[in-house]
Amino acid sequence: MGRLNTGVAKAAALLLAAGLALTGCASGSTGSTAAKASDAKVELRFMWWGNDTRNAMTMKVIEAYQAANPNVTIKPEPTDWGSYWDKLATMTAGNNTPDVIQMDEKYIAEYGSKGVLLDLEKAGVKTDGFAPGTIDLGRVKGKLFGVNAGINAPIVLANPKVISAAGATLPDDKTWTWDQLNAFAKGVTEKSPQGTYGSQNYGAVEPMLRVYLRQNGQDEYSDAGVGFDAPLLGTWFENMQARTADKTFPSAAEATEDMGKALDQTMAATNKAGLFYYWSNQVSALDKATGQDLKLMRPPSKTGSAKDAQLWYKASMYWSGSAKSKNAAEVAKFVSFLSSNIEAGKVMGTERGVPANLAVRDAVKAQLSASDKKVVAYLDAIDAERGKTPAITPVGGSDIQLGRYSQDVLFNKSTPAKAAEGLVNELKSKVKV
Amino acid sequence: MSALSELSHLKGGKQESADNKSAYVFLLPWLLGLFIITLGPMVASLYLSFTDYSLLADPEWIGLKNYQRMFTDPRLLNSLAVTFTYVFVSTPMQLALALGIAVLLNQGMRGLAFYRSVFYLPSLMGSSVAIAILWRQIFGTSGLVNQFLVYLGFKNPPGWIADPSTALWTIILLHVWTFGSPMIIFLAGLRQIPGMYYEAASVDGASKWTQFWQVTMPLLTPIIFFNLVLQIIGAFQSFTQAFVVSGGTGGPSDSTMFYTLYLYQKGFGQFEMGYASAMAWLLLFIVGAFTAVNFFASKYWVFYDD
Repeated sequence: MGRLNTGVAKAAALLLAAGLALTGCASGSTGSTAAKASDAKVELRFMWWGNDTRNAMTMKVIEAYQAANPNVTIKPEPTDWGSYWDKLATMTAGNNTPDVIQMDEKYIAEYGSKGVLLDLEKAGVKTDGFAPGTIDLGRVKGKLFGVNAGINAPIVLANPKVISAAGATLPDDKTWTWDQLNAFAKGVTEKSPQGTYGSQNYGAVEPMLRVYLRQNGQDEYSDAGVGFDAPLLGTWFENMQARTADKTFPSAAEATEDMGKALDQTMAATNKAGLFYYWSNQVSALDKATGQDLKLMRPPSKTGSAKDAQLWYKASMYWSGSAKSKNAAEVAKFVSFLSSNIEAGKVMGTERGVPANLAVRDAVKAQLSASDKKVVAYLDAIDAERGKTPAITPVGGSDIQLGRYSQDVLFNKSTPAKAAEGLVNELKSKVKV
Repeated sequence: MSALSELSHLKGGKQESADNKSAYVFLLPWLLGLFIITLGPMVASLYLSFTDYSLLADPEWIGLKNYQRMFTDPRLLNSLAVTFTYVFVSTPMQLALALGIAVLLNQGMRGLAFYRSVFYLPSLMGSSVAIAILWRQIFGTSGLVNQFLVYLGFKNPPGWIADPSTALWTIILLHVWTFGSPMIIFLAGLRQIPGMYYEAASVDGASKWTQFWQVTMPLLTPIIFFNLVLQIIGAFQSFTQAFVVSGGTGGPSDSTMFYTLYLYQKGFGQFEMGYASAMAWLLLFIVGAFTAVNFFASKYWVFYDD
């Protein structure tokens, strides 16, 4: 059978060679040619998450930039939020990171500290003309890895139809406390039809937890890593359990299901909740879904004074670049255009958050829809009441598992104290500062 | 059959070698796929399982740390419990249902082809995303099932997919609903049983029930064994249903956190691809072990009619 073995060996050798050849072909470039001179043809890949509205707006901005810079071609790669991070991580692993990336506060430290993101200041991005503190939100250990693409803040929304149908009057959001919010919401649930509740379950809403932590002298993250302890979180979970039991909040199953729904299908968006809790840049989508002029309110404080609410401005998202891009200068130029150019700002409006660049914000104010005007007014109103600028989410901190531990408490699989301990310990084991 | 092999020997050495060469040429596309798409990544994954790989930076060798961590990871142990429950509850239920329906269909009736197609249809679409989304709608807190229950007078029906005590059962139900493909295989097996056995049995005075247990079942054991092995291997790798029904989270309180779903979260969501690779190899080992046990045990209960 000697001849058979040679045949097999030859076939195997052929296959291995073919396999290696194909793997070699697959490594591919990032799609931009080496361009040292600024007049040479440049192609930038641009990835963002969004929805149809945002995608259309962004395409217009891309076309405007390409018209002003004819040597630059921008390849758009929009995705939805759900698959964005898996896709970006996989692309990075394959050395295929897009040149311009929309980045989020949860992951900027992760990507930045591992050398994936471009140091934008070194690449020449414009950082003047921004509201104080907003550029620093994009720094990881001093290096600027993301330019603020829009500001938002935590917000409480009230549905006038649900509340007036229950015959209740909204408290004043400059002076209300957590207890007043809870009592008010309970009253609304009692007078509302089955399935409609005075308040969404704010126990699993991360921005509201953060407000509570800050009001009690702690925070979600600090420069040392995890910024809060289990006893304080335990009191938060106890409150959630009590509010679910007395029907201020929806039932455990309803709340759990609500957590996983798309924005326009939640109880809030379908007029089944009196008070709900989101980020300010989601207001216009909620106005549209409920068909109401929702009332914007500050989160409550412990003491009843708005100054103690400890609110803050968050960068709703950032514009970042790839450290391995072959056109760092062009990336910085495009990022400057996206964040500081007035015409680009007018197209995008407040869809990504209120512009952090002051000139753009002023230019945009005039053309805003009623919903967006409300949001700008809210952000202006809380400006003077803001507390300390929060630390950005450190490496390993993006997966806080608040939903899972909340569900453990809601379904009585764990006591509030034990769930709080579990969450804090798990988070501490993951965070690497 | 032995005559044919004698013939091929007579053909002579050169012809045989030429035949083999052309066989390999035809196999080439599949072999390329095997090396590039399956074996190559498997070797890479074995390497990665000994590293700390975040996808964003190069892998760092850490030896057996990933494997050691697996034994003390409560979420992994929970995902194993969930997966084992799923496999060992849904597989027997599905096979029993498939066998039952196959026996019924084997009686022969008007419209047999129609019924066969209708029962087979769910298994065609069952592991698709579309069906999983549909399932999520039907079993939601205000979905079809609960609306029906409220209409019948139940005040507070359970949350089904939103309740940790029932969420896994909805996925088990989804798997049992797709009994069509094992059913078709059982039908084929039933058809193969020579009618003369049944005639002999009824001449001896055996009831239908005795005939089923003494004639049908023993002769079906090879088919049962085949379906059992395949379904268990497939069930261990289930991903789509859990991912879609729980929205990618592993369900309320990790109650639908299948092993493969946890692996996916670790690898792609939590920047721990090294750990995920180690989990993949553990899964291979577990599935291999159960398959080996199956084959070993088959000596004792599978009856081959030759």
